[in-house]
Amino acid sequence: MLPTLNLTGDVVLAEHVSHRIGKVGRGDLVLVRSPVDPRRILTKRVVGMEGDTVCFYVDPMYSQTTVVPKGHVWIQGDNTYASSDSRHFGPLPYGLIQGKVFFRVWPPDGFGTLEQ
Amino acid sequence: MATQSLLWNSVKKFLACGLIGLTISDRYASIVPVRGASMSPTFNPQARNFTDDYVLVEKFCLKKYEFSHGDVVVFCSPSNHKEKHIKRIIALPGDWIGTSHNSHDDVLKVPKGHCWVEGDNSASSMDSRSFGPIPLGLVKGRVTHVVWPPQRIGLVERVFPQERVSSFK
Repeated sequence: MLPTLNLTGDVVLAEHVSHRIGKVGRGDLVLVRSPVDPRRILTKRVVGMEGDTVCFYVDPMYSQTTVVPKGHVWIQGDNTYASSDSRHFGPLPYGLIQGKVFFRVWPPDGFGTLEQ
Repeated sequence: MATQSLLWNSVKKFLACGLIGLTISDRYASIVPVRGASMSPTFNPQARNFTDDYVLVEKFCLKKYEFSHGDVVVFCSPSNHKEKHIKRIIALPGDWIGTSHNSHDDVLKVPKGHCWVEGDNSASSMDSRSFGPIPLGLVKGRVTHVVWPPQRIGLVERVFPQERVSSFK
Protein backbone atom coordinates (compact mmCIF):
# COMPACT_ATOMS: atom_id res chain seq x y z
CA MET A 1 0.00 0.00 0.00
CA LEU A 2 2.98 2.32 -0.59
CA PRO A 3 3.14 5.28 -0.73
CA THR A 4 -0.09 5.90 1.19
CA LEU A 5 0.89 3.60 4.06
CA ASN A 6 4.38 2.49 5.14
CA LEU A 7 5.51 -1.12 4.91
CA THR A 8 5.06 -1.72 8.64
CA GLY A 9 4.46 0.21 11.80
CA ASP A 10 1.61 2.48 10.78
CA VAL A 11 -1.28 2.71 13.22
CA VAL A 12 -4.56 3.77 11.70
CA LEU A 13 -8.10 4.40 12.88
CA ALA A 14 -10.82 2.36 11.23
CA GLU A 15 -14.54 2.60 11.75
CA HIS A 16 -16.88 -0.36 11.44
CA VAL A 17 -20.13 1.47 10.78
CA SER A 18 -19.94 2.67 7.17
CA HIS A 19 -19.84 -0.73 5.52
CA ARG A 20 -22.96 -1.85 7.39
CA ILE A 21 -24.97 1.11 6.10
CA GLY A 22 -23.61 0.84 2.58
CA LYS A 23 -21.50 4.01 2.71
CA VAL A 24 -18.35 2.46 1.24
CA GLY A 25 -17.56 3.81 -2.22
CA ARG A 26 -14.86 4.28 -4.82
CA GLY A 27 -11.57 5.59 -3.50
CA ASP A 28 -12.13 4.46 0.10
CA LEU A 29 -9.40 2.70 2.04
CA VAL A 30 -10.98 -0.43 3.51
CA LEU A 31 -10.13 -3.38 5.71
CA VAL A 32 -11.14 -6.63 3.98
CA ARG A 33 -10.90 -10.24 5.02
CA SER A 34 -8.59 -12.04 2.61
CA PRO A 35 -10.47 -14.45 0.30
CA VAL A 36 -7.41 -16.71 0.39
CA ASP A 37 -7.01 -16.84 4.18
CA PRO A 38 -10.02 -15.76 6.29
CA ARG A 39 -7.80 -15.15 9.33
CA ARG A 40 -5.93 -12.30 7.58
CA ILE A 41 -7.24 -8.79 7.15
CA LEU A 42 -5.91 -6.72 4.25
CA THR A 43 -5.89 -2.95 3.78
CA LYS A 44 -6.72 -2.01 0.18
CA ARG A 45 -8.50 0.69 -1.77
CA VAL A 46 -11.93 0.25 -3.39
CA VAL A 47 -11.47 1.02 -7.07
CA GLY A 48 -14.75 -0.28 -8.48
CA MET A 49 -18.27 -0.91 -7.15
CA GLU A 50 -20.88 -3.35 -8.50
CA GLY A 51 -21.74 -2.70 -12.11
CA ASP A 52 -18.50 -0.84 -12.86
CA THR A 53 -16.31 -1.89 -15.75
CA VAL A 54 -12.73 -2.30 -14.60
CA CYS A 55 -9.76 -2.28 -16.95
CA PHE A 56 -6.51 -3.65 -15.55
CA TYR A 57 -3.11 -4.73 -16.78
CA VAL A 58 -2.39 -8.44 -16.48
CA ASP A 59 1.13 -7.78 -17.76
CA PRO A 60 2.66 -4.61 -19.27
CA MET A 61 1.42 -5.52 -22.76
CA TYR A 62 -2.00 -7.03 -22.13
CA SER A 63 -4.97 -5.42 -20.46
CA GLN A 64 -8.25 -7.06 -19.53
CA THR A 65 -11.70 -5.61 -18.88
CA THR A 66 -14.22 -7.11 -16.45
CA VAL A 67 -17.56 -6.01 -15.06
CA VAL A 68 -17.86 -6.11 -11.28
CA PRO A 69 -20.79 -8.43 -10.40
CA LYS A 70 -23.69 -7.49 -8.11
CA GLY A 71 -22.77 -7.44 -4.45
CA HIS A 72 -19.02 -7.34 -5.16
CA VAL A 73 -16.25 -4.71 -5.11
CA TRP A 74 -12.94 -4.40 -6.94
CA ILE A 75 -10.03 -3.61 -4.63
CA GLN A 76 -6.46 -2.69 -5.47
CA GLY A 77 -3.40 -1.82 -3.47
CA ASP A 78 -1.88 1.62 -4.08
CA ASN A 79 1.47 -0.01 -4.87
CA THR A 80 0.41 -1.51 -8.21
CA TYR A 81 3.66 -3.39 -8.74
CA ALA A 82 3.71 -5.28 -5.45
CA SER A 83 0.12 -5.78 -4.41
CA SER A 84 -1.92 -8.95 -4.35
CA ASP A 85 -5.48 -7.77 -4.94
CA SER A 86 -8.53 -8.13 -7.20
CA ARG A 87 -6.23 -8.34 -10.23
CA HIS A 88 -5.19 -11.74 -8.86
CA PHE A 89 -8.17 -13.09 -6.92
CA GLY A 90 -11.01 -11.31 -8.73
CA PRO A 91 -13.82 -9.12 -7.38
CA LEU A 92 -14.57 -9.50 -3.67
CA PRO A 93 -18.03 -9.95 -2.13
CA TYR A 94 -19.02 -6.79 -0.23
CA GLY A 95 -19.64 -8.93 2.86
CA LEU A 96 -15.87 -9.38 3.28
CA ILE A 97 -15.36 -5.68 4.04
CA GLN A 98 -14.72 -5.26 7.77
CA GLY A 99 -14.26 -1.48 8.09
CA LYS A 100 -13.13 1.80 6.55
CA VAL A 101 -9.76 3.38 7.35
CA PHE A 102 -9.98 7.13 7.69
CA PHE A 103 -7.17 8.44 9.92
CA ARG A 104 -3.51 7.71 10.65
CA VAL A 105 -2.28 8.03 14.23
CA TRP A 106 1.34 6.80 13.96
CA PRO A 107 4.03 7.71 12.86
CA PRO A 108 3.66 11.31 14.05
CA ASP A 109 4.78 12.82 10.75
CA GLY A 110 1.97 10.92 9.04
CA PHE A 111 -0.67 12.03 11.54
CA GLY A 112 -3.89 13.07 9.83
CA THR A 113 -6.61 11.96 7.48
CA LEU A 114 -5.68 9.66 4.64
CA GLU A 115 -6.35 10.57 1.00
CA GLN A 116 -9.56 9.07 -0.31
CA MET B 1 -40.44 12.44 41.76
CA ALA B 2 -40.25 8.86 43.02
CA THR B 3 -41.83 7.47 39.85
CA GLN B 4 -39.40 9.45 37.66
CA SER B 5 -36.33 7.93 39.34
CA LEU B 6 -38.03 4.50 39.22
CA LEU B 7 -38.60 4.94 35.50
CA TRP B 8 -35.00 6.08 35.00
CA ASN B 9 -33.71 3.05 36.93
CA SER B 10 -35.78 0.74 34.75
CA VAL B 11 -34.50 2.42 31.59
CA LYS B 12 -30.89 2.07 32.77
CA LYS B 13 -31.37 -1.64 33.54
CA PHE B 14 -33.07 -2.17 30.19
CA LEU B 15 -30.23 -0.45 28.31
CA ALA B 16 -27.60 -2.43 30.25
CA CYS B 17 -29.34 -5.74 29.47
CA GLY B 18 -29.70 -4.68 25.86
CA LEU B 19 -25.98 -3.91 25.53
CA ILE B 20 -24.96 -7.18 27.20
CA GLY B 21 -27.39 -9.11 25.00
CA LEU B 22 -26.05 -7.41 21.89
CA THR B 23 -22.43 -8.18 22.83
CA ILE B 24 -23.19 -11.83 23.52
CA SER B 25 -25.16 -12.16 20.31
CA ASP B 26 -22.36 -10.52 18.32
CA ARG B 27 -19.39 -12.38 19.77
CA TYR B 28 -20.49 -15.67 21.29
CA ALA B 29 -23.86 -17.09 20.27
CA SER B 30 -27.29 -16.02 19.10
CA ILE B 31 -30.64 -17.53 18.26
CA VAL B 32 -31.96 -16.97 14.75
CA PRO B 33 -35.08 -18.06 12.84
CA VAL B 34 -34.71 -20.25 9.78
CA ARG B 35 -36.78 -19.04 6.82
CA GLY B 36 -37.58 -21.15 3.80
CA ALA B 37 -37.37 -24.85 3.03
CA SER B 38 -33.90 -25.07 1.50
CA MET B 39 -32.62 -27.01 4.52
CA SER B 40 -35.59 -29.41 4.75
CA PRO B 41 -35.88 -31.82 6.53
CA THR B 42 -33.13 -30.66 8.90
CA PHE B 43 -34.93 -27.34 9.48
CA ASN B 44 -38.57 -26.48 8.66
CA PRO B 45 -39.48 -30.00 7.57
CA GLN B 46 -43.03 -28.96 6.77
CA ALA B 47 -43.76 -25.78 4.82
CA ARG B 48 -45.69 -24.14 7.67
CA ASN B 49 -45.37 -20.38 7.44
CA PHE B 50 -46.28 -19.57 11.01
CA THR B 51 -43.81 -21.75 12.89
CA ASP B 52 -40.23 -21.25 11.71
CA ASP B 53 -37.51 -23.26 13.37
CA TYR B 54 -35.20 -21.33 15.67
CA VAL B 55 -31.57 -22.41 15.89
CA LEU B 56 -28.56 -21.63 18.06
CA VAL B 57 -25.65 -20.09 16.14
CA GLU B 58 -22.21 -20.08 17.79
CA LYS B 59 -19.51 -17.60 16.85
CA PHE B 60 -16.50 -19.21 18.55
CA CYS B 61 -15.63 -20.88 15.24
CA LEU B 62 -14.74 -17.42 13.86
CA LYS B 63 -11.54 -17.26 15.91
CA LYS B 64 -9.78 -19.84 13.81
CA TYR B 65 -12.12 -20.35 10.82
CA GLU B 66 -11.71 -24.11 11.12
CA PHE B 67 -14.76 -25.94 9.82
CA SER B 68 -15.56 -29.59 9.19
CA HIS B 69 -17.40 -31.31 6.39
CA GLY B 70 -21.09 -31.28 7.14
CA ASP B 71 -21.12 -28.16 9.36
CA VAL B 72 -24.25 -26.05 8.96
CA VAL B 73 -23.20 -22.39 8.78
CA VAL B 74 -24.71 -18.90 8.52
CA PHE B 75 -23.05 -16.73 5.86
CA CYS B 76 -23.58 -13.40 4.07
CA SER B 77 -24.88 -13.82 0.55
CA PRO B 78 -22.13 -13.07 -2.02
CA SER B 79 -24.61 -11.10 -4.13
CA ASN B 80 -26.22 -9.09 -1.32
CA HIS B 81 -24.28 -8.52 1.90
CA LYS B 82 -27.46 -7.65 3.82
CA GLU B 83 -28.92 -11.15 3.35
CA LYS B 84 -27.82 -14.07 5.45
CA HIS B 85 -28.23 -17.67 4.38
CA ILE B 86 -28.03 -20.97 6.26
CA LYS B 87 -26.53 -23.91 4.35
CA ARG B 88 -24.29 -26.91 4.94
CA ILE B 89 -20.57 -26.97 4.13
CA ILE B 90 -20.04 -29.88 1.74
CA ALA B 91 -16.44 -29.25 0.70
CA LEU B 92 -13.48 -27.41 2.22
CA PRO B 93 -10.45 -25.68 0.58
CA GLY B 94 -8.50 -28.10 -1.61
CA ASP B 95 -11.33 -30.63 -1.95
CA TRP B 96 -12.62 -31.87 -5.27
CA ILE B 97 -16.43 -31.70 -5.48
CA GLY B 98 -18.62 -33.43 -8.05
CA THR B 99 -21.28 -31.16 -9.52
CA SER B 100 -23.84 -31.73 -12.27
CA HIS B 101 -23.63 -28.73 -14.51
CA ASN B 102 -25.95 -28.64 -17.54
CA SER B 103 -26.67 -32.37 -17.18
CA HIS B 104 -23.05 -33.44 -17.53
CA ASP B 105 -20.92 -34.29 -14.53
CA ASP B 106 -18.16 -31.91 -13.59
CA VAL B 107 -15.45 -31.97 -10.97
CA LEU B 108 -14.37 -28.71 -9.39
CA LYS B 109 -11.50 -27.95 -7.01
CA VAL B 110 -12.50 -25.70 -4.12
CA PRO B 111 -9.98 -22.79 -4.06
CA LYS B 112 -7.86 -21.89 -1.03
CA GLY B 113 -9.84 -19.97 1.58
CA HIS B 114 -13.23 -20.94 0.07
CA CYS B 115 -15.88 -23.57 0.77
CA TRP B 116 -18.74 -25.22 -1.11
CA VAL B 117 -22.16 -24.88 0.54
CA GLU B 118 -25.39 -26.66 -0.32
CA GLY B 119 -28.87 -26.84 1.14
CA ASP B 120 -30.14 -30.24 2.31
CA ASN B 121 -33.19 -29.81 0.06
CA SER B 122 -31.46 -29.78 -3.35
CA ALA B 123 -34.70 -29.17 -5.20
CA SER B 124 -35.26 -25.73 -3.74
CA SER B 125 -31.94 -24.33 -2.60
CA MET B 126 -29.90 -21.39 -3.92
CA ASP B 127 -26.39 -22.43 -3.04
CA SER B 128 -22.89 -23.01 -4.42
CA ARG B 129 -24.39 -24.84 -7.37
CA SER B 130 -25.56 -21.41 -8.59
CA PHE B 131 -23.07 -18.92 -7.12
CA GLY B 132 -19.97 -21.09 -6.84
CA PRO B 133 -17.68 -21.58 -3.83
CA ILE B 134 -17.82 -18.79 -1.25
CA PRO B 135 -14.91 -17.26 0.70
CA LEU B 136 -14.78 -18.58 4.28
CA GLY B 137 -14.62 -14.92 5.40
CA LEU B 138 -18.33 -14.60 4.60
CA VAL B 139 -19.26 -17.20 7.24
CA LYS B 140 -20.75 -15.52 10.30
CA GLY B 141 -21.43 -18.48 12.58
CA ARG B 142 -22.07 -22.21 12.93
CA VAL B 143 -25.45 -23.75 13.73
CA THR B 144 -25.16 -26.22 16.59
CA HIS B 145 -28.68 -26.86 17.93
CA VAL B 146 -32.34 -26.50 17.09
CA VAL B 147 -34.02 -24.69 20.00
CA TRP B 148 -37.62 -24.34 18.74
CA PRO B 149 -40.13 -26.01 18.34
CA PRO B 150 -39.76 -27.95 21.60
CA GLN B 151 -40.44 -31.34 20.03
CA ARG B 152 -37.46 -30.92 17.69
CA ILE B 153 -34.89 -29.58 20.16
CA GLY B 154 -31.57 -31.30 19.57
CA LEU B 155 -28.09 -31.29 18.11
CA VAL B 156 -27.63 -30.54 14.41
CA GLU B 157 -25.76 -33.54 12.98
CA ARG B 158 -22.77 -33.32 10.66
CA VAL B 159 -23.79 -35.28 7.58
CA PHE B 160 -22.73 -34.76 4.01
CA PRO B 161 -22.70 -36.68 0.70
CA GLN B 162 -19.29 -38.30 1.05
CA GLU B 163 -19.51 -39.89 -2.38
CA ARG B 164 -19.36 -36.45 -4.06
CA VAL B 165 -16.33 -35.09 -2.21
CA SER B 166 -12.66 -36.11 -2.41
CA SER B 167 -10.12 -34.58 -0.10
CA PHE B 168 -6.53 -35.51 -0.81
CA LYS B 169 -4.45 -34.12 2.04
